[in-house]
Amino acid sequence: MDNTLVIKTSGLSYQYSRDLKTLSDISLQVERGSIYGFLGPNGSGKTTTLSLLLGLLKSQQGDIEIFGQHLSANRINILKKIGSLIESPSLYGHLTAKENLEVYRAVYGASKERIAEVLNIVGLEDSGKKTAKKFSLGMKQRLSIALALLPNPELLILDEPSNGLDPAGIIEFRELIKKLNREYNMTIMISSHLLGEVEKMVSHVGIIYKGKMLFQGTLPELHQLQHTGSKLLIKTSDNEAATKLLSGYEPQTEGDSISILLPDQKEVGAIQRTLNQNNIDIYLLQPKKNDLEQLFIDLTSAQS
Amino acid sequence: MTLLTTFRSEILKTKRTASFYLTIIAAAFGPFLTLLDVVMGEGIPMDDRAVILNKLLVDRFEMTGLVAMPFFIILICTLLQQVEYKNNAWKQVLTSPQTRANIFIAKFMNVQLLIAVFMITNLLLMFGSAAILHFKDPSLRLFNQSLDWNGILQIRATGYMVLLAMCTIQFWLGLRFKNFIIPISIGICGWFLGTLLVIPMKSPIAAFFPYSFHVYTNLPALKPELTKICWASFGYAALFLLVGFWDFRRKRMNG
Repeated sequence: MDNTLVIKTSGLSYQYSRDLKTLSDISLQVERGSIYGFLGPNGSGKTTTLSLLLGLLKSQQGDIEIFGQHLSANRINILKKIGSLIESPSLYGHLTAKENLEVYRAVYGASKERIAEVLNIVGLEDSGKKTAKKFSLGMKQRLSIALALLPNPELLILDEPSNGLDPAGIIEFRELIKKLNREYNMTIMISSHLLGEVEKMVSHVGIIYKGKMLFQGTLPELHQLQHTGSKLLIKTSDNEAATKLLSGYEPQTEGDSISILLPDQKEVGAIQRTLNQNNIDIYLLQPKKNDLEQLFIDLTSAQS
Repeated sequence: MTLLTTFRSEILKTKRTASFYLTIIAAAFGPFLTLLDVVMGEGIPMDDRAVILNKLLVDRFEMTGLVAMPFFIILICTLLQQVEYKNNAWKQVLTSPQTRANIFIAKFMNVQLLIAVFMITNLLLMFGSAAILHFKDPSLRLFNQSLDWNGILQIRATGYMVLLAMCTIQFWLGLRFKNFIIPISIGICGWFLGTLLVIPMKSPIAAFFPYSFHVYTNLPALKPELTKICWASFGYAALFLLVGFWDFRRKRMNG
């Protein structure tokens, strides 16, 4: 296994029932020191994949290597170096923040001092005797992160950690993730369906849809794909004639406009001149919005 | 990761839960009723006055073994597992570096620990009841009476052994079902049916029905069968621990 890879799965497939394949041939590659955004709409197989990585579900087909070790043979040793948060916080509501951490401290072999350290990292050092059930959702989420940080993990796996957080909480959380990656050199895998949110913190992206990987690479690679797929929206006095003139750009009718593939923005001028020379008035000439959200929709709709 | 570390983690989780208070209240049930019976009832029969201390500590444990202890076990086996379901904590438990075997055994040990606390508290409170009785009627000379430690320990050990089968079944059900009503309902129905099979019906099936075993310590006519029942209970306990562990290993924990 490549030393730079913290997670490597090959041909991972899983099905909950005989008729329904939840995951199909998932091959993940998460590089050491990266923040890997694992994106997909609800029900696409993100939680199933993460559950397989953490040994919550038993792998049916394919192989999982974490830290260069096979998960099936070294589950306990691997889990000692992983902090995780799967979906909603798993906290004991009747215990305080410190008591919740104390439950797992010895299990992870962490020192007593580590409890104060992780509470300090997530900003819960003053939570005192307040029990977890009285915490706000943001505080619960932060305590869950503290729990995940308890073993001083090399890898942090977070499943939909922004769920239920308010905008301020999301920004705060994003800064925390960046800080953990930057200052503690943690590799972080974070799943989400909030694409715009993840885009602001990740270095690598994997997109899953209906149990299949649609894209995997760095964020610049995704942006490159985004530019390659850019479109120009044109509304003219004679769309039919314009479509014939621009046939080399694969025009498509979109309502009362046409859209064409735009490999290079410099071509906009040439298109404008062509239409003017043929006495076609241009009412609208607008690059079509093609951010990550749009790209995600394009990628997923191409599959469906 | 050692079993003791996992066991420590399980004990810490029960802090400030209803489990501990339930243990104390259930343990006090027998001594409290005994005190009420002796103080407010018809008093102590003349024949029993010389051995009243042993009567309290040995014979009166039968009431605990018949009702309070089975109900306590049914409730505690469910309540302890609800800590994980109620707090959505199974995922955290199972993604921590602990083997499923250690988690399963530590949880079972936690149940046994609370049963031990129950039995010790019950014994101490029964001594407390005896002390109250002594101050109410000093002529009983309660504290001059000799203690039958052998009988005291034997009745408790037997009471524990006959309930071990039911305990492992309830422990398995408590782990298996997210909805706590199911294991508690099964336990209470089992207890009623088990008691009916022995006392009014005198059915031979009772000797094979784990929820009937607790009655065998209470009926003098059935006491000759007690050793056999203890072994049967032990056998069922071993079987249901294996079944429970097999089920726990294969179960997908979503809660």
